[in-house]
Amino acid sequence: MDQSTLSPTMIEAQALSKHFDTEAGRVDLFTGIDLVVTRGESLAVIGRSGAGKSTLLSLLAGLDTPSSGSVSIDGHRIETLDDRQRADLRARKISFIFQSFHLLPELTALDNVRLPLEIRGAENPKHDARQWLDEVGLGERTDHYPSQLSGGEQQRVAIARAFATRPSLLFADEPTGNLDEETGRTIIDQLFRLNAQQGTTLILITHDSELAMRCQRRLRLHNGALTEV
Amino acid sequence: MSLLPRLALRQLRSQLRTTEWRALLLATWIAITLTTLLTLLGDRLERGLLRESANLLGADLVLSSSRPLDNDRLASIATQDVQTTRVVQFPSMISDPASTETPPMLVSVRAADTPYPLRGEIVTQPVQNQALPDKGEAWVEARILEQLELEIGDLLQLGYSQFRISAELISSPDRGSGFRSFSPQLLINRSDLDASGVLAPGSRANFRLLMAGSPEQIAALEAELDPTLADYERLLSLRLDQPLTGNTLGNALAYLKLAALTALLLSALTILLSLRRFSQKQYTRSALLLNLGLNSEQLLRIYLYQLLIAWGALALLGLASAASLDSLVQGWLSTLLPQQLPDATPLAWLSGPALGLVMLILLGLPPILSLSRVPVAHLLRGDTPPQDRRARLLQISCVLLLALTLLLFLRAPIAALILLALLLVGGVLFGYIAQAILTRVAEPLARRLLLGRLLRLRLRQQRRWHRLQSAVIVLLLTLLAVVWISRADLLSEWRAKFPTDTPNYFVINIQPWQRSDLDSFMQANAIDSALYPMIRGRLNQLNGKPIRPQLTPDQLGDNTLRRELNLSWALNKPEHNELLNGSWWSSTPEQPQISVEQDMMEDLGLKLGDRLGFDIGGQQVDAEITSIRGVEWTSFRPNFYVIFSPGALESYPSTWITSFRLEGERKRLATEMLQQFPSLTLVDIDQLLSQLATWLKRLGDSSAMVLGLTLVCGLILMAVTLLQALEQRRFEAALMQTLGASGEQTRRLDLLEFLLLGLVCGLLAGLSAELTLAGLHLALLDVDPKLHPWLWVTLPALSSAFFVLTGFLIRRPLQLDQCYRLLRSQS
Ligand SMILES: Nc1ncnc2c1ncn2[C@@H]1O[C@H](COP(=O)(O)OP(=O)(O)O)[C@@H](O)[C@H]1O
Ligand SMILES: [Mg+2]
Repeated sequence: MDQSTLSPTMIEAQALSKHFDTEAGRVDLFTGIDLVVTRGESLAVIGRSGAGKSTLLSLLAGLDTPSSGSVSIDGHRIETLDDRQRADLRARKISFIFQSFHLLPELTALDNVRLPLEIRGAENPKHDARQWLDEVGLGERTDHYPSQLSGGEQQRVAIARAFATRPSLLFADEPTGNLDEETGRTIIDQLFRLNAQQGTTLILITHDSELAMRCQRRLRLHNGALTEV
Repeated sequence: MSLLPRLALRQLRSQLRTTEWRALLLATWIAITLTTLLTLLGDRLERGLLRESANLLGADLVLSSSRPLDNDRLASIATQDVQTTRVVQFPSMISDPASTETPPMLVSVRAADTPYPLRGEIVTQPVQNQALPDKGEAWVEARILEQLELEIGDLLQLGYSQFRISAELISSPDRGSGFRSFSPQLLINRSDLDASGVLAPGSRANFRLLMAGSPEQIAALEAELDPTLADYERLLSLRLDQPLTGNTLGNALAYLKLAALTALLLSALTILLSLRRFSQKQYTRSALLLNLGLNSEQLLRIYLYQLLIAWGALALLGLASAASLDSLVQGWLSTLLPQQLPDATPLAWLSGPALGLVMLILLGLPPILSLSRVPVAHLLRGDTPPQDRRARLLQISCVLLLALTLLLFLRAPIAALILLALLLVGGVLFGYIAQAILTRVAEPLARRLLLGRLLRLRLRQQRRWHRLQSAVIVLLLTLLAVVWISRADLLSEWRAKFPTDTPNYFVINIQPWQRSDLDSFMQANAIDSALYPMIRGRLNQLNGKPIRPQLTPDQLGDNTLRRELNLSWALNKPEHNELLNGSWWSSTPEQPQISVEQDMMEDLGLKLGDRLGFDIGGQQVDAEITSIRGVEWTSFRPNFYVIFSPGALESYPSTWITSFRLEGERKRLATEMLQQFPSLTLVDIDQLLSQLATWLKRLGDSSAMVLGLTLVCGLILMAVTLLQALEQRRFEAALMQTLGASGEQTRRLDLLEFLLLGLVCGLLAGLSAELTLAGLHLALLDVDPKLHPWLWVTLPALSSAFFVLTGFLIRRPLQLDQCYRLLRSQS
């Protein structure tokens, strides 16, 4: 383990700006954003649709490069890493949960959870995957294909998949966006339970303020600025 | 199995259900099958006919002459230590002496000395323990037994002699070239030839000296003989540039390969479009796999594995289908081949799978590479980043590389390049014309119908696909129509073009002493014919000076100078020739005069009053041009470039020639004539043409098979192109339905679009087919082109039906509840 593991700071963003050059001209999404996320903390980013939340998330996760400014994840400065090193960093530390679940349709629930474990060469992927499906209450549905599962169930498989690699950092981009309120709530319960249990750092994007209230910290992205609420 | 291949296999299995993968697999399968088939055929033909042409020639070196072999030359060759043997081959009619019912049959007679052949072997049934029939016996090919209804042991009549058929000729080298090799063959001992009387002095025949020896001896002999060849002699050796039967078949193969080029191009286009669609659909998936921890190399490997697994399965499948088609084609060609073809080299089996692999990799690499580089952020935003310049460059170079591979494979790069250019230019042209017509047609419709307005929008939206679709369909239908019609029509049209009184029998090799008897036979049986003498001579002087220095290089290449001419003389102008200029002699003039054919006059730049000199058997004959004749060369009557006035040529040795027409019952007169004059060479033109027709039909069958596969390729491609725009169509249909159109209306709009597209394509195809056919008629047959009205009905109907069917098969009707879902997922 590298010494960065000891540092209390999980993510540090400095003077982060992002703009796009479109045909209609330059669009400044945000400028000069500073942010520190401490290890184990849960953080919600709220804001209107189109505010730039997803873009911010992809910058913080090292999936995209900022127009200016810098991001460090667990002590690694993203801009100093090449594509391969970034992918490696992500594989070791980061998981995602998406609004539209993104399961592989030709794999069963079990195989979907197993896949990232196998990619990482885990010891006993099948056993682990089964355990994680049990954990999200889908122990009985391991052999079902995504098309045979409801939206909520699919998202639970996705949560199991996200936690299976025991990430230190979890990004969730509107995980309940495609679900009804009731289902959304149970999903969120599960997410926070596992998060607490694993001590994961959670960055959650939502436009649901009730959901945001369950995080330790809340930030609003509005007119290109990030403010604590 | 480790993770990556397993994922690849899983992925492939689930994608087998998608249309684009099915199309890709089918297209690749056909490409592999076709390539393998043609390479197999080519390899066997080459090995069977060219590399082993010693067997085909029956010797290492052959001196082939249209005159009896010169004794001095034979003597000088005899002093060399090489093995030699002599063969004469000529056309003749043979008949069944036991039956007056079966009409005589046109065959090619070969009379050979022992040892025969010097290389290769004759295969007979039943097996004979000598290489040549005994005296009084003949070996015949199966076609002769069939047509004359004879069996082994029966007698057959050739000239004055009867021969007992002692064996069936299964295969034999030294079949001769050109027409000789198409005709059914009969082999006898040369010692029987004189008695049969069919080959009198001066008769037209092919005289061959077969030679065999060590490579050095043969090379020396060839070098020695080559400069001394007369213009009626040729040397045939193992070199590949000789006009053997193999060349006819080689040309046929080249033709098949060119036909296959279209199929390969269509396959390539299908693969390209399928992979494009595949990669579009794989975007999210790739991003997800990257997000789950795969790196882009691993991802690239997964997709490569997927292609390789698919390729492996298709290679096996393709080899199997190629093998079965190969035996089919072999069956068609077997009667035309001098011997059983050897098995193909193992390497030949690899060509199809290899080309398939090259196709898949070259076309697959660009989309797969860009797939493996999808930004993971795509999962968060759902946008598709534009293709960068490098990816496009890679794609273009891969496509060019593939084109190059195809050209190399076809081994006729120039022809293939021309065809490629023709297809491309034609395709682009047809695409734009079809689109222009569609837009024109939509305007008035838009003014009258509500649906017309929607159609106008649809046409604008789909214009790129319409261009591609019409290009492919028009080219395919043109090809189909042209091959279909030319297959059936060309020969029959060519025959039909002759007036009904066109002679259908030629008699050659008539000896001067037979003339009067033959004349009386003709008159007694009311056969309308005129006999013409034939004397061979070489044109060597113009106005008293050697002719060659007086001509341009172009004129020096003229046919009339390259070989000996058949000269004739006549008191009266032949009825079937037209006097164009000058005047015909009324009696025997004091000085020899000649009448020259119009084209020869023009080609050599001659004018009335010029004097031409001929070398006839070593003697010089001079004559003044006093008239110009128009000659219809295809009239099936004796025709001559030069006709002398009487008195000039009578002293030279000549044979006589005539032609006449016999129909129905009167065809029996031909049999009678042969019985009365067994030594005449009677050529039945109807038989000759049907022998040619059989050959053309076999070739037609083989190319129809390639064409059939091409058609399948085209259909798959169309399905893929329709599929490409399917998402857009569904979305549009959903939108229209939520905006108030009924499902019925959107269906009608589709119907209208497809019908119109089909109609326009069909008409364009009709036009281009007619133009192509007209070109073929004019260039090949010199027949006036005619319209094929039914084409203009069938082709539009065919292509409309095709568009409507594929369109509706692929696009299942949309229910209203699906519409909302579709719209939501798009937003
Ligand atoms: N590559 C891009 N080019 C141009 N505009 C972009 C690009 N990516 C995102 N945007 C724009 O940035 C804005 C914010 O997008 P996003 O981060 O997805 O917002 P949110 O997740 O808050 O809804 C949107 O208006 C989007 O159109
Ligand atoms: Mg978003």
